[in-house]
Parts: sequence; C-alpha cells; structure tokens
Amino acid sequence: MKSLRPNSFATFAVLLFGIALFYWGTDGFTAYTAESARVNRLLDARPTFPQTTFEDSKGRSYSISEFEGKYVFLTFFYSACSTVCVQLEGNMGRVYEAVPAERLGREIVFLSVSFDPDRDDPARLEEYRTFFDSDGETWRMARVSDRAELDRLLDEFGVIVIPDESGGFAHNSAFYLVDPAGTLIDVMDYTRPEEAASEVVRILGQERGNGG
Amino acid sequence: MKQSVYGLALFILLALPPVAGLMESLMIAHMHMQMPLLVASGFLMAKYGQIRFPRFWERWNVNGVPGILLFAIVAVYWMLPRAMDEALAFPAMEAFKFVSLSLLCGTPLRDSWPKVGYAAKSAVIIGFTLLFAGMGLLYVIAPVQLCNNYLLLEQIALGWGFLTTAICMVIFMIYHAFTRHSAYE
Repeated sequence: MKSLRPNSFATFAVLLFGIALFYWGTDGFTAYTAESARVNRLLDARPTFPQTTFEDSKGRSYSISEFEGKYVFLTFFYSACSTVCVQLEGNMGRVYEAVPAERLGREIVFLSVSFDPDRDDPARLEEYRTFFDSDGETWRMARVSDRAELDRLLDEFGVIVIPDESGGFAHNSAFYLVDPAGTLIDVMDYTRPEEAASEVVRILGQERGNGG
Repeated sequence: MKQSVYGLALFILLALPPVAGLMESLMIAHMHMQMPLLVASGFLMAKYGQIRFPRFWERWNVNGVPGILLFAIVAVYWMLPRAMDEALAFPAMEAFKFVSLSLLCGTPLRDSWPKVGYAAKSAVIIGFTLLFAGMGLLYVIAPVQLCNNYLLLEQIALGWGFLTTAICMVIFMIYHAFTRHSAYE
C-alpha cells in the first residue's frame, strides 16, 4: 500500500493554486471580463483628459479647456452605428434630462465624441443631434479630426474600437465623467441611466455643498 | 517516446507567430482549436515525463486526483472571457497560456486519467458537458460583447461551438450508457 500522504498534499496544493490563479486572474473575483477589468483599472489610474481639439456640430473648434471648471459627461459613438450607439446616446439623453436645467452648461456639459471623423462631419452631427434632443450647446456632439489626438484620447480612456467588415465599428461603451480639473472620476454602466443620473446629481450636489 | 517528439513538434508549430496569429484572429479557433491542441501537445509530451520521472508521478499523483483537479482548474480558467482577451493583450499571458495548457493541463490529464475511478471520470465528463452548455448559452444569449478583442458575431459563433461540443458529449454519454462494454473487452 503506497502512502497517500504526498497525494493528499498535492491535491491541497493544486486547490490552493487554483484559488490563487482565479483570484489573480479576476482581480480578487471582481472582474471576469476584460471590460470590467478595464473599468477597474481606469478608476484606479484616473487619467486626465489629453490635449484634444474638438470640432462640434456647429462647426466650432476648441480644446478641452473650453469646459474648464465644469464637469463633462462623455460618451464615444459614431453616427452610422445602428445598435449600441442608439441605446448609448438615448440613455445619455435620459441622464441629460435628469440633471436640473439650471446646472446644464454652467456646472456640467454633455459631450458625445465621434470616433468616425471621416463620416461624422459637422453637418452630419448637426442632423444626428436632433434625434436625441441635444441642443448642441449644453449637450454637444463633436468629432476629433486629428487621427493621432483621437487615438490618444481613446487609448487614455480605454476605448477599444475595431472596424468590422460592413464599414462599422465594434466598440465598448460606457458613460464617462470628467471633473472640473479634467480628471476622469467615474465610469458608469450605460445600460443603467437611472443609476448614472443619480450619481451625477449627487456629485453636482456635493460640489454645491462645498461652495463650488 | 516518439509521441513526445510529436507533442513537442505540435507545440512548436502552434507557437510559430504566423500560426498563433492566424488561430487567434478567430475567436472560435482560438478557444476550440488552439487551446485544445495545446492540451493535446502536453498530453503527448507527458510520455517523456512519465518515463523520465516515474517516481514523481508515483509519489505525488497516486490516485490521479491531484492531476485531474489541476487539469480541470487550468481548463476552466482559460474559458474566462477575460483570460482570452488578456492572452491577446499581454505577451506574458500568452506565454502563460502556452505553458499552462500544455504542461499544467494536458500532461497531468495523461497521467491521471487511467488512475482515477469511474466516478471521477463521470464527474469530469458530466461537469465539462454542463460547463460547455452553460458557456455556450452565455455566449449565444449575452447581448453584450464579453471580449473586447472579438466582435459580437464571433462570440455567437463560439457559443454555438460550445453548444455543439456539449451535444456531442451528451451523445457520447448516451452511447456509452447503452453499449455492452463486456462484448468489446
């Protein structure tokens, strides 16, 4: 009869290895997809908004400093997208409606950034914004014409865009909230606009409480 | 001994950048061809380990349970959508995928399968069938893209790959249950 002791020891060691592997591989059982890991990493890293030149639906060009001193509620989309972006922008509209009107444009600006600058010129954006009752002022739609700047922004905010065969893009989506200093402070689930809205209203309320 | 060489040759073939790149460009080939082939290469290479280090296996893997557990843990780990994404994003994870699927998954399976009893074998087969069916449904039904590196359509294809594998395993189990094994032994 062979001793089973080393065998039991090996079983135990394998189990420990398994727990360690899954713990390490899912950031302590919190992130099972690369997308949730990405959001966790972003919230840890809190990147600041890189130098980017926007061209909006009214044909105006400006950099992120246009929004200095205000919160910016961001999404990334492209207008030819018929699936996720419609839901994304529609839900962004619901957050937009939930924010008290007197704060819009003064304390917070909504900004939809297109990552398809070739097709989303100002005229197209001007048309697209009307589908979502964006006023073009407190909720702006803009493209980033400079390819290098666009790539840097997408990279900084962890947006992955893959062109597909039919001229569209597969991409991950979320609501991004940038604070008045230009730092990314929150990444929210775009499928839950109510939660995102209450979070935004809460953060704005805090700001006011601090005399801001 | 010869089969260990074949195993090594298979491993090297899979690791060649053009071959790896081609297989990883398709989600379903990544999970249902490259990964099982890596396990197979380890399974073949195991022969060398068994001949070279017989004492190691006799001592640490007496009843096959540690080996089967290791096989199952590593196999399940690589089914996480995130693990697959990270293998594409980080070269170190890619290296870990090759080493773990061959040496920590295929090799222990080879040594353990003949050692474990009927109950353990059934548990592994039934467990993986359920898991495949579950993963298949998840990938087919999930409305969101689970992997950042692959398109939704590819994800659905992978889901059907899982489901068909599960169906084949069910057919195998039925076949196994209704065959008179004594007639063939």
